Amino acid sequence: MSDRNSIESRLLQEWESRAGSAMNGRLHDSRAEAIKRFRDAGIPALRSEAWKYTPIRRILDRMPTLDIDPEGINTDGLDLGASTIEGLDAYRVVLVDGRFQADLSDVTGLPKGARILDLRESSSDEDVVRHLDGTGTEARDAFAELNSAFVQDGVAILVDAGVIVPRPILIQQIVTAQKPSLVQPRLLGVFGRNSQARLVEVCSTAGQAEVLTNAFSEFHTATGAVIDHVRLIDEHAGAVHINNLRSYQEGGSNFSTNVITVSAGTVRNQSYFLPDGEHCETHLSGFYLAQDGAHIDNHTLVDHAKPECYSNELFKGILENKSVGVFNGKVLVRQDAQKINAYQSNKSVVLDDTSRMYSKPELEIYADDVRCSHGATTGELDKDALFYLQARGIRQDAARLMLLEAFASDVLDRIKEEPVRAHVDQLIRSRLSRN
Amino acid sequence: MSTTGTEYLNEVAASDYEWGFVTDIEADTVPKGLSEDVIRLISSKKAEPEWLLDWRLKSYAHFEKMLAEKGFPTWAHLDYPEVDFQNVSYYSAPNSKPKYESLDEVDPKLLDTFERLGIPISEQKMLAGVAVDVVMDSVSVATTFKDELAKQGVIFCSFGEAVEKHPDLVRKYMGSVVPNTDNLFAALNSAVFTDGSFAYIPKGVRCPMELSTYFRINAAGTGQFERTLIVAEDDSYVSYLEGCTAPRRDENQLHAAVVEIVAKRGAEVKYSTVQNWYPGDAEGKGGVYNFVTKRGICEGDDSKISWTQLETGSAITWKYPSVILKGDRSVGEFYSVAFTKGKQQADTGTKMIHLGKDTSSTIISKGISAGNSQNAYRGLVKINPKASGARNFSQCDSMLLGDRCGAHTFPYLEIAHPNAKVEHEATTSKVGEDQIFYCKQRGISEQDAIKLIVNGFCKEILAKLPMEFAVEAQKLLAIELEGSVG
Repeated sequence: MSDRNSIESRLLQEWESRAGSAMNGRLHDSRAEAIKRFRDAGIPALRSEAWKYTPIRRILDRMPTLDIDPEGINTDGLDLGASTIEGLDAYRVVLVDGRFQADLSDVTGLPKGARILDLRESSSDEDVVRHLDGTGTEARDAFAELNSAFVQDGVAILVDAGVIVPRPILIQQIVTAQKPSLVQPRLLGVFGRNSQARLVEVCSTAGQAEVLTNAFSEFHTATGAVIDHVRLIDEHAGAVHINNLRSYQEGGSNFSTNVITVSAGTVRNQSYFLPDGEHCETHLSGFYLAQDGAHIDNHTLVDHAKPECYSNELFKGILENKSVGVFNGKVLVRQDAQKINAYQSNKSVVLDDTSRMYSKPELEIYADDVRCSHGATTGELDKDALFYLQARGIRQDAARLMLLEAFASDVLDRIKEEPVRAHVDQLIRSRLSRN
Repeated sequence: MSTTGTEYLNEVAASDYEWGFVTDIEADTVPKGLSEDVIRLISSKKAEPEWLLDWRLKSYAHFEKMLAEKGFPTWAHLDYPEVDFQNVSYYSAPNSKPKYESLDEVDPKLLDTFERLGIPISEQKMLAGVAVDVVMDSVSVATTFKDELAKQGVIFCSFGEAVEKHPDLVRKYMGSVVPNTDNLFAALNSAVFTDGSFAYIPKGVRCPMELSTYFRINAAGTGQFERTLIVAEDDSYVSYLEGCTAPRRDENQLHAAVVEIVAKRGAEVKYSTVQNWYPGDAEGKGGVYNFVTKRGICEGDDSKISWTQLETGSAITWKYPSVILKGDRSVGEFYSVAFTKGKQQADTGTKMIHLGKDTSSTIISKGISAGNSQNAYRGLVKINPKASGARNFSQCDSMLLGDRCGAHTFPYLEIAHPNAKVEHEATTSKVGEDQIFYCKQRGISEQDAIKLIVNGFCKEILAKLPMEFAVEAQKLLAIELEGSVG
């Protein structure tokens, strides 16, 4: 950090120059604390264990002139097509370059007790005050702090107790920046007791400029609530996307998330789950398709702090043409968190010898009456299966596609919204059959 | 689990180290501290040639550099104070004549120590047909069966003797598998190693007996720095056994060993370890720090290196026996049982580096934790871009005996070849209540049931040990479990 030109010092300087202006009073204190924590943590060093296979410092050094949180976004003639999902009847929220766009969003018809707000306008809302930046002090991360330090707006989804949101909420995050930029979308979801909601996030890029997206999503799921979350990341090759997700669950809640990454750039998904009560269910899954130099890193931590919980983790991916896949999953069972059932699995198919897969599935267990397992496999397509299909008159490329789609279907089957499922299926099929 | 079971497990966790006694032998100990002078002193005491002293000094320079630049390594899942390298004595030799013609000349007290450990050299010579290169602290004091081995051209002697009689071989292979820059402890060992074993199996020779050393730490505050080098020429075979026990001490004893294995074309080396250093008392006081660098290279095609270990001792274990699979169709194996209790901490596992074509490796690791102990598996499977047809299977199972211990798994899988097949699976659970219930129904006491189940859990590993070791290992595990219970 002593280096004046380092990315940290540039960010710190930028923060200083903005202090006082453009800042909401209530958020000011928490932002000041966040920047302090960011300064203490620093951008992870190259040798840092958590970033072992994703040399983020080197990646950021290649982006020396980032425009931090660009102002003056022009949404005229913006094509939302790329991040729209055909046939999905949903409430729509649009974020452009990390900023909430009320005029492009459409949340009419929300049931009473459910609100979707601009974080800027709702920063004095009780729920927002209580929960924003409220999760996972254990999982503090320099990038989440960075997001908190610069937070100006974002989306707050607040669902009161007992409210069932009938349609999915589609959150479209588009980066339009025409010059190298750092954009920091923020999402807060607070779900009351026995509420239900389904969220679909689609992240895409419209321009070709180098962008660093530093997203931070927080979810608070109260007892009995059932939340389903899907995040699709599909960005261009120059994009670097760091995505922090923190999920806090009260006892008896059910939270599912599915992260589908098909980006051509660099993506780091960091997901942290804290089922902080008995009888929680946590389902986390992900699929990554890394092609043509893409680098996709999925990093998860399930922190079982309380007994009698269930978690199930499944990450699968396909790698080809100079791509890198990373999976680092950790299941932590704390002392006295008995009767935990935790499963974790990571499977990858590497299609050629220019791609790499790094898998690090970890278990850290401090309680004895638990059932925890993890598995990881990496291999090529099964030649016998390919032969079987070809012997039945299916052309090799079709057979290959069929097998890869079957491989992916374990994860994709977990997507509950049919139009989303169809959209992702189509996307993956077109990417795979492109060659 | 019923109270009796819990009590039993508590007793197991708290049970004393049975073999912690001190042999009162005058030891020729160099004052504490580490410096170039100490290294020169060690070297001159051992009447070493100039090249070895140079190598030691270079290693020491690396050690100093690493310590200054990177500091003490803290990445392992271990919690202990940093070792004060200046508070360790780096040389200790039993004060007897350096060499013996026969066992009669050996200090009877020394022999008695081995008797009490249940390793009667004379008996073992007769019964087991095992040549024992006994290492008492740092100098080899007895080597048996050497003549018989010599007939076949097998060289099996202390490291010191090898330096003297086979300098070419030592110079050629020492540091070729574990360079003196490899890690802090390997550098330390390279600088101050006092003795160890050397085995050389000539081309086409199947070593007629299992080679065996027993390591034992003695003399208060003495670090022990063993160095083992095994070279197996083309189409040879050797099975090497290493077993350790150490007497009770209050200070933490530092043990930083280096083991290097070279397997040429078609050669097979089997290395088995039973490790039972003093683990410290119930509060975790004392106990051995066991920082070992073990690595083998399958240099030639169709070669094979197999590590089997039973780890029950040491306060801190930091040990990753590895295999570099360089030759085509070479095979690496790692079978391990690690048992921790009391306040023991273990971070152990393996590295399988696949470089050649059609190489395969198998990793089976069983961890059992009791009391307040922490037991971690850390393993790397690396498939290089040119290692086509590589195959790996890893299985890491952990068993928890008690609710205050921890079992952790940190596997690293780095795959860079599309047709590699790598599988890893791990489970963590406690002893099944239904299994205990089943045994109890058939009149087996809860304690015996736990023993039975744990033994069954480890069976596939223990079965890999050579016969006499397997018996000892099972006994050791039973004693460890038994603790003060009858």
